[in-house]
Amino acid sequence: MNPEHRLRSAASIGFVLSVILVVGAEAQQAAREDGQWTMPAKDYAATRYSALREITAANAAQLRPVWTFSTGVLGGHEGQPLVVNNTMYVVTPYPNVLYAFDLTEEGYPLHWKYRPDVNPSAVGMACCDAVNRGAAYADGKVVYNLLDGHTVAVDAITGRELWKTKIAELSIGETVTMAPLIIGDRVIVGPSGGEFGIQGWVKALDLETGRILWTGYNAGPDSQVLANPDTFKPFYDEGTELGLTSWAGDTWKLAGVPVWGWISYDPDLDLLYYGTGNPAPYNPEQRLGDNKWATSVMARRPADGALVWAYQFTPHENWDYDSNAEMILVDLTIEGTRRRVLVHFDKNGFAYTIDRATGEVLVAEPFVDVNWARGIDLATGRPQLDSTKLTGASRGNVENICPSLEGGTSPASPASYSPRTGLFYVSTNNFCMSWEATQAAYIVGTPYIGASIPYTPGDGGHLGAFIAWDAVRGRKVWEIREKYPVWSGSVATGGDVVFYGTLDGWFRAADARSGELLYSFKIGSGVVGAPITYTGPDGKQYVAVYAGIGGDWFLVAGDVRSDDPADVRPPADFMPDLARHTSQGGIVWIFALN
Amino acid sequence: MDLRAELAALVLVVAACGGSDSGASTPPASDAGNRVFAGGVAPPTEHLENPFDSDTDAVLEGERLFGGMNCAECHGGGGVGFVGPSLVDGRWRYGGGDGELFRSIYAGRPRGMPAYGGILPDAAIWRIVTYLRSQPVPENVPTESWR
Ligand code: HEC
Repeated sequence: MNPEHRLRSAASIGFVLSVILVVGAEAQQAAREDGQWTMPAKDYAATRYSALREITAANAAQLRPVWTFSTGVLGGHEGQPLVVNNTMYVVTPYPNVLYAFDLTEEGYPLHWKYRPDVNPSAVGMACCDAVNRGAAYADGKVVYNLLDGHTVAVDAITGRELWKTKIAELSIGETVTMAPLIIGDRVIVGPSGGEFGIQGWVKALDLETGRILWTGYNAGPDSQVLANPDTFKPFYDEGTELGLTSWAGDTWKLAGVPVWGWISYDPDLDLLYYGTGNPAPYNPEQRLGDNKWATSVMARRPADGALVWAYQFTPHENWDYDSNAEMILVDLTIEGTRRRVLVHFDKNGFAYTIDRATGEVLVAEPFVDVNWARGIDLATGRPQLDSTKLTGASRGNVENICPSLEGGTSPASPASYSPRTGLFYVSTNNFCMSWEATQAAYIVGTPYIGASIPYTPGDGGHLGAFIAWDAVRGRKVWEIREKYPVWSGSVATGGDVVFYGTLDGWFRAADARSGELLYSFKIGSGVVGAPITYTGPDGKQYVAVYAGIGGDWFLVAGDVRSDDPADVRPPADFMPDLARHTSQGGIVWIFALN
Repeated sequence: MDLRAELAALVLVVAACGGSDSGASTPPASDAGNRVFAGGVAPPTEHLENPFDSDTDAVLEGERLFGGMNCAECHGGGGVGFVGPSLVDGRWRYGGGDGELFRSIYAGRPRGMPAYGGILPDAAIWRIVTYLRSQPVPENVPTESWR
C-alpha cells in the first residue's frame, strides 16, 4: 500500500476537508489562454474553463445576440463548436455536416462545408437521437465521428477529406456520437450501442493516416480489455480476467458498455480517462455478476491502450446508470494534502472525487435525490444498496427509483470547473422512474433492452437545476432551479460568469460565485449543447451555443418530430407542457457584450 | 446461457406460428401515401394479399411478435412511437395499406427500419401487419391547445 492509500481511512471517517487553490495556477492558465477552443471540453483536463474575463458579473446583463445560423438540421444539437485560427467549426447531428465559418468577415460567411456520405440506417440504430457531440482540432485537421461508424479528418483550411476510417460496425448496432479527443498523434474514439448488445471498446487512430493503432474492449478477456496483470492495478479489485469472470456465462459478448461521452487526459501521468456505459440488457437477471467494466471509469495509456486502473461506480448496474459523463481532472487539497483527482458526476446521482493516479475514491456524495443506494462505502468503493430498488424480470414493476435513467445529470450535458471559485457547475435532473424489466431477446441489429420505464417528477416542483458543487466537501454550494430537466453543458470563465441553457430554450448567464442569474435570452429551441467562449478577431469575448432540442428528448417531447402528432408522449408525459415552450430546431447563436 | 440458441429457439417459435396459409380476403388498402400522380394516372402496383383478414388469433399472434421481435423497443409499447415513428396514429411515412406495411417490415426502410424478411417468414409478417391494422386510430386532433 503506498502512502496515498492510507489517507482513505481518514477520509472515510469524515475529517473536515478543505480546498486550497494552487497559487499561481490561475495566472498560468490566463497566460496560456489564447482565446481559442480546440478540444471538445476546452482542455485535456475537460474543465470547460476559459480564463477570458471581458464578460463579468457586473456587465453580463449587457450581453446581446450578435449572430445566428440555421444548420439546416432539426434534431438534438449536442456538443459544441470549435474556434481555431479565427474559424468556427460546427458539426451537425446526422447527416453530420461540418461547417467552417470565417470569423474575420462580416456575417461570418462559410469558408466551406463538408458533407459526408452517412448511411441513413444509422438514424434508427442510434438509441437516443442522431446526435453528434462535436469535433477535435490538431495539426491542421478537424477530426470527428459520423453516426454510421466512421471517423473522418478534414483539412481545416480547405475542407478536403484527408482520411476516413471505419471504426464501428453499424450492422450490429454500433453507431458513433461522441467527440474524439486527440492526444499527441492519436485520435481516441468509441461507440454508442449500449441498447444493442455491442461489446464496447475504445480505439486509437493515427492522426496522420487514420489507421487503427489499438482497440481496448471494456469487457471480455484480459487480452481484449488490454489488462496486463503487470500493469493493471485497480484500487479495489484483485485477480485477472475480471471483465470475463464478472459476467455469467458468455454474456460479456453482448456486454453493451459503450463509450459515448467524453475523454480526458493527464499528460504528467500519461493516462487517458473515460467512462463506460450501461451493461446490456436492461434486465439485469440476464447478466448476473458485477459486469465489469460497465459503468466504470477506465484509465489507459494512450500509446498502447494498456489499462492501468479501473473503478466501477455501479456494480451489476440495474438502472441504466451509464458512467459516460466526463472525468474532470483537477488538483485539490483534501485534508491538507494536495491530490491529483478526477471529479465525475454520475448518472447514478453521486459525485465522485477520485485519486486519478490510483483510482481510490476520496469523496462520494449525492448531488441530487438518490434512493437506490444509501451511500458509497469508501473502504470498498461499493454502493450501499436499497434492495427494494433492485430491478429484474422476476421483480415486477419497481416504483419510485431516483434518479431516473436520464441520470442525476446526463453525460450529454458536461459540467465545467472554475479554478477561481474551486467549484464545479453541473446541469441536473430532478425526476424518478418505475422500472419493469422483461426478458430481452437478442436479435442482431435490433435493441437488446427488456424494460419499460415511465418517469415521475421529483420533489420540489422543479424538474431540473443548475448547481455549483464543492468536490472537496462533497456538497452543493448553490442551485438555480429550472422548470424542466437541465440538459445543456456549461462553460466557466475568468470573469466569474457561467453559461448554460435550458430545455425550454433559454440561454443563461449566472454569477459563478453566488448563482445569481445575470442574463437570459430565449434562443428558439431547447438547449442540449454546451456553450463555449472565445476571442474574436476584433479582440472581443464571444459566447457561442447551439439551440436544438433532442437527445433523449427527441424520443419523447416537444413536437420533436413534426410527422408525429403527439407533442409529448410516454415516458415524458410527466412534463406535458414542454411543447408550449420549444419545438425542434438547429441554430448556432453567438453572444457578446453590447 | 447460449444466446445463439436462444435466438434460434425464438426464430423457431416464429416460424411455427407463421406456418398456416389462410385464404382470408384482403382489407381495402388505405391510400396513406397520398401521392400526386403525374398525368393524373396512378401507376400499377404490385398487389400483396394479406391472408389473415382481421382474424383475432392473427392479431394476438401479431401483437406477441411485435414484442418478441423487438419492434416495441424502437416503436414504443403498443407502437406509440419512440426511436421509430408511431404505428398507431393513422399517419404513415410509407403507407398504411397491407402491402405497404408488409414491405416496410420485410425490406426495411431507409432511415433505420431494419429488414425482417431474412428472419421472419411471410406469414409472421402478415400477422404483425394484421395486428397493426387492427389498432384503433385516434381521432385526428389538429389543434393542441393550452388555453
Ligand atoms: C432499430 C429500431 C427499429 C426496430 C427494431 C423496428 N423498427 Fe420499424 N422503423 C424504425 C424506424 C427508424 C422507422 C422509420 C424509417 C424511415 O423513416 O425510413 C421505422 C419504420 C417502420 C414502419 C413504417 C412506418 C411508416 O410510417 O410508414 C413500419 C410499418 C415499421 N417500422 C414496423 C416495424 C415492425 C413491425 C417491427 C418489428 C418486426 C419494427 N418496425 C422494428 C425503427 C425500428
